[in-house]
Amino acid sequence: MLLPGMIFLFIFSYIPMFGIIMAFQDYIPAKGMLGSEFVGFDHFTYMFSLPDIGQIFTNTVVIALGKIILGTLMAIVFSILLNEVRLKLLKKSIQTVVYLPHFLSWVVLAAVVLNMFNLDGTVNQILSFLGFEKLNFLGSNKLFQPLIIGTDVWKEFGFNSIVYLAAITAVDPGLHEAAGIDGANWWKRIWHITLPGMLPIILLLAILSLPNILNAGFDQIYNLYSPMVYETGDILDTYVYRIGLLGREYSFGTAVGLFKSIIGLVLILSANNAAKKYTDRKLF
Amino acid sequence: MKRNSLFKRITMLSIATIMTFSLVACVEKEPSNAADSVSENGEKVIKMGRVTSANPKLPEGDTYENNAYTRLVEEKLGAKIVNAFEGEGEDYTRQVALAISSGELPDMMRVDSREELKELVENDLIADLTDVYDKNASDYIKAIYDSYDGRSLEDASFDERLMALPATIGDEAPNMIWIRKDWTEKLGLEIDSDGDRLITLDELEKTAKAFIENDPGGSGNPIGIPMAYWLNSGTYGGSALNMTSIAGIFHAYPRFWLEDENGNVTNGSITEGTKQALGVLANWYKKGILDPQFGTRTWDDIMALVTNGQTGIVTGPWHIPDWGLSTVREMDKNANFEAYTLEDENGKVNVAHTNPTGSFIVVRKDYEHPELAIEILNLFYDELANSKDLKTDYPEVAEYKELGVDGSTRPFNIEVLKSDNLLFDYSNIMGAVNGVIEMEEIASSEARDAATSIMKYNENPNEADTADWSKYHSRVKGMGLIDKLTKENKFNWVTPVYFGNTETLEKKGANLLKLEEEDFIKIVTGAEPLDYFDTFVSNWKSQGGDEIKAEIEAILAEEE
Repeated sequence: MLLPGMIFLFIFSYIPMFGIIMAFQDYIPAKGMLGSEFVGFDHFTYMFSLPDIGQIFTNTVVIALGKIILGTLMAIVFSILLNEVRLKLLKKSIQTVVYLPHFLSWVVLAAVVLNMFNLDGTVNQILSFLGFEKLNFLGSNKLFQPLIIGTDVWKEFGFNSIVYLAAITAVDPGLHEAAGIDGANWWKRIWHITLPGMLPIILLLAILSLPNILNAGFDQIYNLYSPMVYETGDILDTYVYRIGLLGREYSFGTAVGLFKSIIGLVLILSANNAAKKYTDRKLF
Repeated sequence: MKRNSLFKRITMLSIATIMTFSLVACVEKEPSNAADSVSENGEKVIKMGRVTSANPKLPEGDTYENNAYTRLVEEKLGAKIVNAFEGEGEDYTRQVALAISSGELPDMMRVDSREELKELVENDLIADLTDVYDKNASDYIKAIYDSYDGRSLEDASFDERLMALPATIGDEAPNMIWIRKDWTEKLGLEIDSDGDRLITLDELEKTAKAFIENDPGGSGNPIGIPMAYWLNSGTYGGSALNMTSIAGIFHAYPRFWLEDENGNVTNGSITEGTKQALGVLANWYKKGILDPQFGTRTWDDIMALVTNGQTGIVTGPWHIPDWGLSTVREMDKNANFEAYTLEDENGKVNVAHTNPTGSFIVVRKDYEHPELAIEILNLFYDELANSKDLKTDYPEVAEYKELGVDGSTRPFNIEVLKSDNLLFDYSNIMGAVNGVIEMEEIASSEARDAATSIMKYNENPNEADTADWSKYHSRVKGMGLIDKLTKENKFNWVTPVYFGNTETLEKKGANLLKLEEEDFIKIVTGAEPLDYFDTFVSNWKSQGGDEIKAEIEAILAEEE
């Protein structure tokens, strides 16, 4: 039974790994991976010598962390609140509405976001109607990161809340009843019963999302950014795309990609160990 | 137990490795398409990478793969053109990048920079065309290339071997300022008081201001002057919407390698003149003369501004009415443009000679019919161009010309024209329009076509087709301005010293361009003061600029 899965894994996950070799050579397409000259860690040294690398790295981490933290918080809060909605029909319709953006690609949503947030967009029209100054969301280095994080949270929180809703339903209703009899109010019950009941899931998802700390979302940013916001919006993926593929520096692109994966691996291992140490729950 | 699992893991790992290697061996086999180069009915097949355009105006049913031009190739040369991939602008660049990186090239394609060509040569992916060119190229085609004193063929040659067919681009300078004429008339603006079609910065600023204040387009949201973020000729749409003309009045030529007054090599991007030009733009941005959303607008956004009547000022080359401004006319029958150019304090127009080539047609190595590339070249740039009567010889093509079908639908989307072609064509066209020469005396069919269009436009300007409108604007106004300024000796030409690539330029060039693009935008939008330019210059130099300069100096010294 395991065989089809194994084959799938081999073809799509293990074979491409061979390409990592490119990071250590001066890859020339015609000579192929077996014929190109090896240069050791040259590309990595060059990567760290780039003047922008610190900034790009910071951008990536800030955007990714912002998305993970805010996205998780929003999903937890939303699922707790939604759980309190007693009317089944209303609950279902709210759920459908907030899931929806998850199923649209950023190519489509970027057009929506651009129309909402450009200088003549809806948001700015409301702002100027209320007497505020117009804000150049897409061209301002102060506002671009919040915009990216905000719109991503909007897109994903509904879908992410599914798991939390499931976790809430798994909490024994008897505990709530007992607490109610003892005089615990709504807030106390959330804090002392629902949240501890959700903790394992929250922890699990947090660990799973940590390796993504260097994946700040290529398609979202690629569709929204411009050279004006390279300073705060350029992430490793967009940078690799511009320099690596369009600039035809394949080996360099691979080196950056490999670097990303290694950081991800280290993070997931350490998060797993920390989880084991402090909470005695772990993934593997 | 533990040992057992370790053993298991090692076994799995070795199996994985073996499988990987064996599969890679399969992947890396020679891409032999010998069988594919002949179709079922024995016709030769050319798999081609095609550059497309957003609005080709192809008649219904025709496509980039099957149109009058490809049918002509099939009929005349017995070769069927199949598109390996199609793409527009950056999308095409990406497709080429992917084709090169995978090593699986189409039989023929266009590459848009010498760097790409060089990479293809170094990778031994493309065919040596020296012999097929010598044997097959027509005398007329050879004469075209010879009119550049060998510069363009040299650009496509490596170690004396011709590796590609270069496009020949005559100089496109000056970068003109196209202003909505119907608007200036409506507002009673006098832009150019002495009527010589040379305007000053002040005059341009006043016009933009008047357009913003009076909103002659009635859009409710007028924009002064839009510019793309590639302030200097960048990648896509290179010659339009940039600061070239403004830099010119300060004797600055960004992105060109030039010799300064002391005989040292320098880059136009880091000169004092460029700083002054940026100062003008920054000032305009502050005053709202420049588009307040400058920096985030894409090419399409700006074209939409022009079409919606939000802006009436566009900078661009003489031929921008043919592919950019024509959409305005589709929306607004009254739309008219006048072409101006900016003059410096001495009343001169400072311009740089551009790279004579830039685009190349390459043929895949091992492709069985490399001679087809030359035959297509002969067919389109000799036979068709010199045809005395297109209507009887090539009725389908003649019909395309009348419909204004975009030139990109030809199999090779390049121009191969003599170096003095522009002014020669212009004198032909105007000669016929003014009745000085007969239509049949016009040398090229392209020019004959333009002359017919212009005459049609002149008969009834208000009801003329968009195609005739475009031809009138690009030829009479665009070429006409160049002709006038040439005759009046208003041009001050500068010749860049180096167009090629160097080792460091290849490695650090992309990063330097990013630095330039970002810092220029910051200065214009006021995120950094104008004096930040000096910081940019020192960063530019230390991040590779000085190294590249030294390399170029060494190359130039060697050449002498």
